[in-house]
Amino acid sequence: MGECRIGVYICNCGTNIAKVVDCDAVARAAQALSGVVVARSYKYTCSTPGQETIVKDIRELGLDRVVVAACSPRMHEPTFRRALQTAGINPYFLEMANIREQCSWVHSDPRAATEKAVDLMRAAVRRVVWHEPLEKRYVDMCHTTLVLGGGIAGLTAALELAEADKPVVLVEKQDHLGGNVARVDLTAPYLDSARDMLRDRVEQVRKHPMIQVLLESELEALEGYVGNFKAHIRTKEGPFDTPAGAVVVCTGYQEFDASRIEHYGYGRLPNVITSFELEQMLRQGRVLTREGKPPRCVALIHCVGSRSPEYHPYCSRVCCMTALKYGHEIKSNLPRCYVYDLYIDMHAFGKGCEDFYRRTSEMKTMFLMYEKGDLPRIEPAGDGDGCGMLIRIHEKLSGEEIEVPADLVVLMVGMEPREDAARVARLVNISQDKDGWFIESHPKLDPVATTTEGIFIAGACQAPKGIPGSVAQAQAASARILAKLAHEKIEVDAVFAEVNDDLCSGCRICNELCPYTAIEYDTARKRSHVISAMCKACGCCVAACPSGAIKGRHFTDRQITAQIEGVLEWASSQG
Amino acid sequence: MAIRANPQLIEELEIYGAEDVSKCYHCGNCSAVCPFSREPFLFPRKSMRYLQMGLEEKLKGNLDPWLCYYCGECSDECPRDAEPGETMMSLRRWLTSQYDFTGISKIFYRSWKIEIAAILLVAALTGLGFWRFGNSVGSLGVYDGPGAFFPSSAIHKFDWALGFLLGGLLLFNCARMWWFSIGRDPGIRIPVSAYVRRFFLLPFHFFSQDRYRQCGKKRPWAIHLVLMLSYLTMLVLIMFFLHLVQSGPGIDWRVHAFGYLATAGLLGTTAFALYGRIRKTETHYKHSHESDWIFLILLAYVSGTGIVQHVLHRAGLDTAANMTYLAHMMGVVPMLGLEVPFSKWAHLAYRPLAMYFSALQEEAIEVRRRTSEETAPLRAA
Repeated sequence: MGECRIGVYICNCGTNIAKVVDCDAVARAAQALSGVVVARSYKYTCSTPGQETIVKDIRELGLDRVVVAACSPRMHEPTFRRALQTAGINPYFLEMANIREQCSWVHSDPRAATEKAVDLMRAAVRRVVWHEPLEKRYVDMCHTTLVLGGGIAGLTAALELAEADKPVVLVEKQDHLGGNVARVDLTAPYLDSARDMLRDRVEQVRKHPMIQVLLESELEALEGYVGNFKAHIRTKEGPFDTPAGAVVVCTGYQEFDASRIEHYGYGRLPNVITSFELEQMLRQGRVLTREGKPPRCVALIHCVGSRSPEYHPYCSRVCCMTALKYGHEIKSNLPRCYVYDLYIDMHAFGKGCEDFYRRTSEMKTMFLMYEKGDLPRIEPAGDGDGCGMLIRIHEKLSGEEIEVPADLVVLMVGMEPREDAARVARLVNISQDKDGWFIESHPKLDPVATTTEGIFIAGACQAPKGIPGSVAQAQAASARILAKLAHEKIEVDAVFAEVNDDLCSGCRICNELCPYTAIEYDTARKRSHVISAMCKACGCCVAACPSGAIKGRHFTDRQITAQIEGVLEWASSQG
Repeated sequence: MAIRANPQLIEELEIYGAEDVSKCYHCGNCSAVCPFSREPFLFPRKSMRYLQMGLEEKLKGNLDPWLCYYCGECSDECPRDAEPGETMMSLRRWLTSQYDFTGISKIFYRSWKIEIAAILLVAALTGLGFWRFGNSVGSLGVYDGPGAFFPSSAIHKFDWALGFLLGGLLLFNCARMWWFSIGRDPGIRIPVSAYVRRFFLLPFHFFSQDRYRQCGKKRPWAIHLVLMLSYLTMLVLIMFFLHLVQSGPGIDWRVHAFGYLATAGLLGTTAFALYGRIRKTETHYKHSHESDWIFLILLAYVSGTGIVQHVLHRAGLDTAANMTYLAHMMGVVPMLGLEVPFSKWAHLAYRPLAMYFSALQEEAIEVRRRTSEETAPLRAA
């Protein structure tokens, strides 16, 4: 295949690459390689003029292969593929050499870095010769969406989709809808009733003709791929199967088990309660101690289980404002009651929150700051103390040892991933971070998609968040799904693994290995088969197949070998 | 030993004018901007914190409020409008009431109605007493010399008696201030020599108001100095040269020149302060406690009636001069008798004392540091 006409483009990336790598020298080295028609060094190849140069060269010089030596392909491979497409050649005739992340950013010796850049460029030139034209594929899309979880995020996602006339199956584990929000009295910072907010949504969801609500139900298994999932659900009436085009996971959170912090005495001291227990009292309109008396002083302890090296290192985001809310609610229920707020830092970000913090201060909630590693200690008070308990705290702002009297201690328990989060993650094939929260596709630019096409996450199952964040994510996930449904078919990447039926021995090694459960075994034909829409082209099966029956498209043995040879060419010429 | 947090103190201090202290979230801007804030007197933030947590005993022994002269920069810079300057002012009022062993101060600060009633009562008693006394020793038509309604020798004795009484009361309160801030703390050991060495601070700060001068803004210091010096001049004239002051109808420039200057100073500065408080021209005039108004109005009244009686006597209107004198005394006696030991005027003693005591505290800290350094190697060995 020596007749290729290759164009090589060395990007300077401003000075990102050029300050270490001699880009002109790399271009000169490229020029000398067989098959290379043109080699250029340019300031920003990804810029419009940079792309236009490539398009122009393809058209005028008749290029049929392009190598761009620049940043990581994760960054700009789609950009340059588009340029090839614009110029009228197959986009997969592109190969990128990463001379930024893998070269200029990690090396300081210009001579050696330039040599390495030349090696990487040469490897790409050698590889691109063997590239094959690949075509994108399209599959049908089922219009039903499966929503897991009937909390505020699940309700919102279901409603958004149903309002667009798309069918929704909503699966809820409990016997009622509403999730954790249903356990809350008022919401911070505007003190609106959570019940009112929820009631309306639950009503709409229950009555909506496009939504099928399955209570006391659980997802048992999920098969298939984007556009063509098949869900097996266990309901109280028995098993229920439904096809689904997409899945929104809104399984929420569970509260931290306060009894894990032993010296807070939860479960041992009768008047140490959790924030959710206080919510219940507030909903009933009566804040009382276990003895049935209104408390004279209430202490709220923040960050219970959160921001702690022993329990959860992260911030649960909503507890600070919830504690401020308790300040308001307790004072309006019991005007003569004193409220103490024992906190590490006050996290009052977000709309209206700083203002809410100020208003709570003005209501004379007493704020006492403690050090992260130096938790307050709760002790039962003596007879002469005039209160039920005494909390000792090393108060950080004054440096004093302070004793806080309290009849009721409220532990602001943080959020943690649900007990069954790992099971759900496995079922829908998504990952969890080190704390157990589901991982989004991109933390900033793609926060509701996951690495599995067609599986979306919304609400507190992704990370601790409040109602506005959960609702926004649910709406975002719905919008993403509706955008997919707007096309009758969905595009599937042309890069995936293929099994050569003639070579496959049906050993099924690849079946177990595939991290995306993309390989099916046809028992009748005794052959494995890759579901191309689910395949992420990781290459595990290709490497593992003892018969060499699996080919990774765009990662063929010939391509990889040529690339390796390209890297080693210089070394071998040096003897 | 842990200190019990007390949410009620902040409510109590509200009556003394600290209405916004709960808004403070301890960013520390106030202490950063204050030219005086330094170890170990980190105000106003530290006092704000003590107050928010209700650490009453800590606050009682805290000299910080007296070391602050309310230039108002902290309040200007406060992002939460917690008014640290006004909080320090309120703490000065509260401390005055804590130092006062009679409890009268507390009553006055908590109720301006009672304070005014007390002033009126003392004024009425003064009026009645002097009326009967004047009529028994002389005649209303005679201002000076034999048969005078207000014989200067008798007034002189009365002034000294009043002076001793008030001085005694104030001295007792000062002793309590010492006890709260130094005496009762077993951790503070001050050698007698330090008391002697540092004593000069008392008259120095009393006469110069030197610390006030070190504030960023100079005008309030200048005005305060004029007011204070005028007041002192008047005090000296009355206590030592009353017979000359009261003589006439000619003008005795040896004393009257000082009298005119002092009166002008008093009236001018009082008018300035009244105007400032009414129009809220400066940060430290933005919040006025009832006690501030009473103080200024009494001062203006006493200065006004003083100069009027003097003028009337020079004009030969002795009866009117005596009537005005009576009215003057009806202002002077309650002003000095009630305001000096029990209210705002007490600060003329507490401020220089705080400079003195804080220097002693610093010295004690220094001694403690040195001894711990000296004994540390011994202990280690």
